[in-house]
Amino acid sequence: MQTIAHLVKKPWFLGSLVVIFVSVILWNIPIEKRKYGLSQSGLVTDYTGLLPERIERVVRAENRSDLQRIVRQANVNGQQIAIAGLQHSQGGHTYYKNGVVLDMRTFNRILEIDELQKTVRVEAGATWEDVQEAIQPIGLALKVTQSQSIFTIGGSLSVNAHGRDIRFGSMAETVKAMTIITPEGESKTVTREDPDEWMKYIFGGYGLFGVIVDVTVELTENQLYTIQTEKLKMSAYASYFDRLLNDQHTAMHYARVSVAPNSFLDEMYVINYNHTEKQDFTTRLKKEQSVRLTKLALDIGRHGGALENLFWGTQKRYIASLNGKEITRNNAMRSESTFMEYTKPGRVEVLQEFFVPVHGFEAYMKDLKNVIPVNDKHDDFKIHNITIRYAATDQFTTLNYAKEDMFGLVVLMQHGLKEEQISEATSLIQNWTNLTLDHGGTYYLPYYRYQTKEQFRRSYPQWNTFADEKLRRDPHNVFQNMFYDYYVK
Amino acid sequence: MNHKSTRYLPLIVTVGQVVIFPYYIIWLKEVSLTFTLFAWFFAAFSFAAAWGYRIAQSRKKKDRSYIAIIYAGMGIVYVSIGGIKYSSDILPYVVLLLQVILGLLQGYFRAWHAEQDTYHLHTVHHYLIVGCAMIGFSFVKIISPVVFITTFGILMCMCAVWTLVIHEKEEVVIPRK
Ligand SMILES: Cc1cc2nc3c(=O)[nH]c(=O)nc-3n(C[C@H](O)[C@H](O)[C@H](O)COP(=O)(O)OP(=O)(O)OC[C@H]3O[C@@H](n4cnc5c(N)ncnc54)[C@H](O)[C@@H]3O)c2cc1C
Repeated sequence: MQTIAHLVKKPWFLGSLVVIFVSVILWNIPIEKRKYGLSQSGLVTDYTGLLPERIERVVRAENRSDLQRIVRQANVNGQQIAIAGLQHSQGGHTYYKNGVVLDMRTFNRILEIDELQKTVRVEAGATWEDVQEAIQPIGLALKVTQSQSIFTIGGSLSVNAHGRDIRFGSMAETVKAMTIITPEGESKTVTREDPDEWMKYIFGGYGLFGVIVDVTVELTENQLYTIQTEKLKMSAYASYFDRLLNDQHTAMHYARVSVAPNSFLDEMYVINYNHTEKQDFTTRLKKEQSVRLTKLALDIGRHGGALENLFWGTQKRYIASLNGKEITRNNAMRSESTFMEYTKPGRVEVLQEFFVPVHGFEAYMKDLKNVIPVNDKHDDFKIHNITIRYAATDQFTTLNYAKEDMFGLVVLMQHGLKEEQISEATSLIQNWTNLTLDHGGTYYLPYYRYQTKEQFRRSYPQWNTFADEKLRRDPHNVFQNMFYDYYVK
Repeated sequence: MNHKSTRYLPLIVTVGQVVIFPYYIIWLKEVSLTFTLFAWFFAAFSFAAAWGYRIAQSRKKKDRSYIAIIYAGMGIVYVSIGGIKYSSDILPYVVLLLQVILGLLQGYFRAWHAEQDTYHLHTVHHYLIVGCAMIGFSFVKIISPVVFITTFGILMCMCAVWTLVIHEKEEVVIPRK
């Protein structure tokens, strides 16, 4: 006590205390967390915050009968319900003007794991991470998820998400059964054989056909994979992938294309996860790693020009360093996401995804050079990265983006929020969409709707059936959102 | 003590600091990403203030106070807050630095002020003026707290200049205690 009292008298001691404390804070200042979601002073938004809207209220159902009651009441009162998972969709899919938002995060339990059948039954508001935590200790893993595990199961199925696995087809294919609440408030358990074909509309149905309450999804072994990376010329990719698909040695795959001025759309890297036949029970689920460094690298790349060349160089080195490393299936399905957080006021960073048939890829990429600028250093609209995924044919869902085997180009881009900046971005993305459509492709619907209604209809020729079925199954328009309002209604 | 500046400038500073604090807190809340960080910013301020207080107390030459530098420092901090663009990438780091500087200056000023003869009189006046000022300010609608913060910064810079000018004269005219 005496010594402390004595020390406090010394300016150098207090000075050191300040320096130590400040260093600790400096290291712990969080990577910025964007404020989006359900509680923005009466307005709600989603991941981009581009479409703030006033809603009536947010409801969280306590249990299933409560959920049914809410839906039934909406039928009677003429209310509109939008369903929200974790709101990573970016075009107002989870809310509607003056409507009620059903927050599904209360339904997040793992209900049953069948080790023999390799299935898990889980509530729709749980995240893939919740599922991974439950099945990792018994050596199991999911068949299909996105590259990150931060999304809810209901949200992912409702956008018909896809990931890095090139063997198991679409995410919807891995669902054996599910419980839904229909627009009339009825609880139904449906399977793929269901004569009413509910699954066909619920998957990729953007919460417009009913509430997914729980699902039974197929699992596979949590295998250990070796990572194999390779640098390629863009022109060699399609044939390279063809070989990969026929080989069966590779379980998962994605690629990254250069958008740096020096190697713009010419150079790319492929990342494969190859079978080792070893099932893994011990490796823990990885947490977010090296967030600060990856964020710093991305921030540098965000400036474009020479700095983008530097960023691509760093990425190349990083990807090359992965070659030969081992990773479990579960860990390959939970990439970092925090480093992507971007909260510069007056600017927004968004995703878009364009799908193009595998066989037409090379010609498409050549033409794409005429649509997007090689060097965007001085432009407001900037492209930060493009990753390529494979999306296998899906003939099951109505709004299907993969009418044949497709490559999906996931694009991370940024632009300002002034009117002319938004319209400049919109016109560039619309040109890009036209090019994609001309090449027999489509674009992904969970992201911000830069596209026109016309482009939507060209991309999704079955939109008619979707709209008709919506009216038939939900005559009172109980389930509504801004996506439906803009594109379909 | 004989001179008006020794009498009134510290009063302006103490009153100003308290009056500006609500606006400052609103600003700090806006730029802090989380409550934890907001609290840490305050902790940094307090530690730095303790440090500043001690530095002022352990001055060897009591008659050399550097008080003009303290005013100028505070002024510059508040004015630069007005100039900060909300580019959030480095903002928390800048704010942390400002908190430490401000804390240090504040602690030093407090220690120095407590040694002044006018201190006890100031304390009473200070409470009265702050009360009235806050009632007055509650009727003024502002768009952003930064407007007040910057204005106060400019006022502090003026105090610094005033002190410097007067101090020159003081050294000649007033015998030191
Ligand atoms: C950083 C990032 C990376 C991404 N990566 C990929 C990727 O690799 N592959 C991919 O395919 N997609 C990807 N996406 C898109 C992502 O899959 C979708 O945004 C998905 O909807 C996210 O789930 P969520 O829980 O946030 O759903 P939300 O955005 O909350 O909801 C999406 C839709 O589902 C509906 N919905 C939600 N819960 C239910 C329910 N229980 N019942 C019925 N309807 C419901 C909502 O009404 C809404 O229409 C990515 C998005 C981001 C932001």
